[in-house]
Amino acid sequence: MTTFPIAVPPPGDAPGIATRHPDEHRPWPHKPRTWPRALVIAAVICALTAWSAIAIQFDPATLIRNAHNASRTLVQLFQPDYTFIPDTAGALLETVQMAVIGTAVSVALALPISFLASRVTNPSTVVLGVARFIMNVIRSIPDLLYAAVFVTVIGTGAISGVFALVLFDLGIMVKLISEALDGLDRGGQEAALASGATWLKADRIAMLPEVAPSYISQTIYVFELNIRASTVIGLVGAGGLGMLIDKVRTFYQYHYLSTIILEVLVIILALELLSSASRKRLLI
Amino acid sequence: MTPLGTTPAADPLRVAEAPPPAPGSAGIGSTVGSNPDSPAGLPPGIPPAARPKRPHRRLRQVVWALVSAVVVAAFWSVDISWDSLGHAPARLVHYIGLMFGPPAWGQLPAAVSATMLSVAMAWFGTMLGIVISFPLSLLATRGLTPVWVRWPIRGFFAVLRAVPEVVIAVLMLSVTGLTAYTGALAIALGSIGTLGKWGYESFEAVDRGAIEAANAAGASRAQVMRWGVWPNAQPDVLAFWLYRFEISVRASAILGLIGAGGIGKMLMDNIQFRVWDVVGMLMITVVAITMIIDQLSGMVRIRIITGRWDLPFAARLRRRRTARATASAPDGTARAAASDPAGTANSEDRRKAEE
Repeated sequence: MTTFPIAVPPPGDAPGIATRHPDEHRPWPHKPRTWPRALVIAAVICALTAWSAIAIQFDPATLIRNAHNASRTLVQLFQPDYTFIPDTAGALLETVQMAVIGTAVSVALALPISFLASRVTNPSTVVLGVARFIMNVIRSIPDLLYAAVFVTVIGTGAISGVFALVLFDLGIMVKLISEALDGLDRGGQEAALASGATWLKADRIAMLPEVAPSYISQTIYVFELNIRASTVIGLVGAGGLGMLIDKVRTFYQYHYLSTIILEVLVIILALELLSSASRKRLLI
Repeated sequence: MTPLGTTPAADPLRVAEAPPPAPGSAGIGSTVGSNPDSPAGLPPGIPPAARPKRPHRRLRQVVWALVSAVVVAAFWSVDISWDSLGHAPARLVHYIGLMFGPPAWGQLPAAVSATMLSVAMAWFGTMLGIVISFPLSLLATRGLTPVWVRWPIRGFFAVLRAVPEVVIAVLMLSVTGLTAYTGALAIALGSIGTLGKWGYESFEAVDRGAIEAANAAGASRAQVMRWGVWPNAQPDVLAFWLYRFEISVRASAILGLIGAGGIGKMLMDNIQFRVWDVVGMLMITVVAITMIIDQLSGMVRIRIITGRWDLPFAARLRRRRTARATASAPDGTARAAASDPAGTANSEDRRKAEE
């Protein structure tokens, strides 16, 4: 602790001070005692970390022991083989196809469902509750799990990937669009209802145009997610680049692997730039 | 109404609004009747072009055409036999019946212990990610470090964010073999990317006042970080550490699917051996555990940010109720304020979906 140059009067100097609380002559307030709580929190965190380290058999020695192996792999990884790019074209195309089809189908399905899942556009509490519950369940299952199940049920290939992507996107899309609907101004809809329109007509005339910009922007966003996801779901056999990654990994062809990863990186970054630019244009 | 007799009475409002025809222009009524461009219900006296033309947006049309072409091409060219799609719904229903009618609850203890392994993976990975990313994100903060330090670190974060965690795990296989340990390391690497970015963003968002005060008092760079930046950014940073842990729990289940142990591995094994009732039970377990951990960690996050103990779903319910109450009130400003937290929840979901 640094000592502060502010004069602290000695206890005997001023009359009356000695009778007060010994700390009261300090010119600054007493620091609250937080260390017991901090100690408990730190202990809990340390205990959890220790438990998790034991559970996963954390062992830095393995890393060092395998360092030789790893260094060879790393050397291969940092020498991507660009001649492999033509061979990836088919898988890359399939990834993009899956992403496009998945996006198209899911956004088409998501629009009516999100109108059902928003309180603003759906007057029926029962339908609203059912729609929301189903969408919550669909959303809580990860995409790779969908893919794994569909690969076993339907078979290997792009079709399982498309199914997985559609379900995965549907969850996200409906959530985002129905929340956008919830936040909308209901004036137009009320006017339409007052002039005798049915709910369907009122939603179509007054709410659809209002939610359209955010619908398009979420579509772009979901497409971006799909490109990421469709490179990964192939690892369990659902087509696209992931299947190729799985193949070169089983043959330990790391220079091919890094080529694929570079491709994925380039595509994802390009798509991110494109989508952020187009979304900015939409919002202004 | 006799001068307007040529118009159908279906649209009384528009008829009433129409200006009365000038006396002596009796011929107009006959021309309107013969005009094929005139929409039904338009009274005489208003030329057919009264409504402004729709704006012509060339770029928009081109973009629409391109997008439609791409979608059609994708459907047309993809290697899928669409005619087999007809059987899919029936088969899906069949398999859902196998999974959930009823799920094999006998395996629940094994599932719970596998889940614990997944959670351990997520926790350890996140802790490791925090330990590594925290100093790095301080070094990547604008105003604290020179450009040549900042940009390489930011680039490193960006690359780590762009590579999916599953791919990182695939890369690490050769180093450690396919274990829960690999999964934890992959989660750690993946979380360095996101945590690092969120870290420097929130360090840059702190109030400059404290930093200036520390500088003016002669603090060193490290002291500026400790006393000028950290106290301001602390709640945010702690909250998103927890938030990242929630994401890691999901990621660890996914990593298990490619073999990194835990609940995901158990799922994958049962899917491959087609033990569907166990698969159904495991799916329910995954969803339940994810939700419980989200709620617990969300509770601590809310405590850190607002100082109150509150379950996220309870907070959301309350917010909705106030939103509904204010929505019926004529005051629009209260409603806008009530819907704002929903907006932040929205962006959170997006973040979560991105992982």
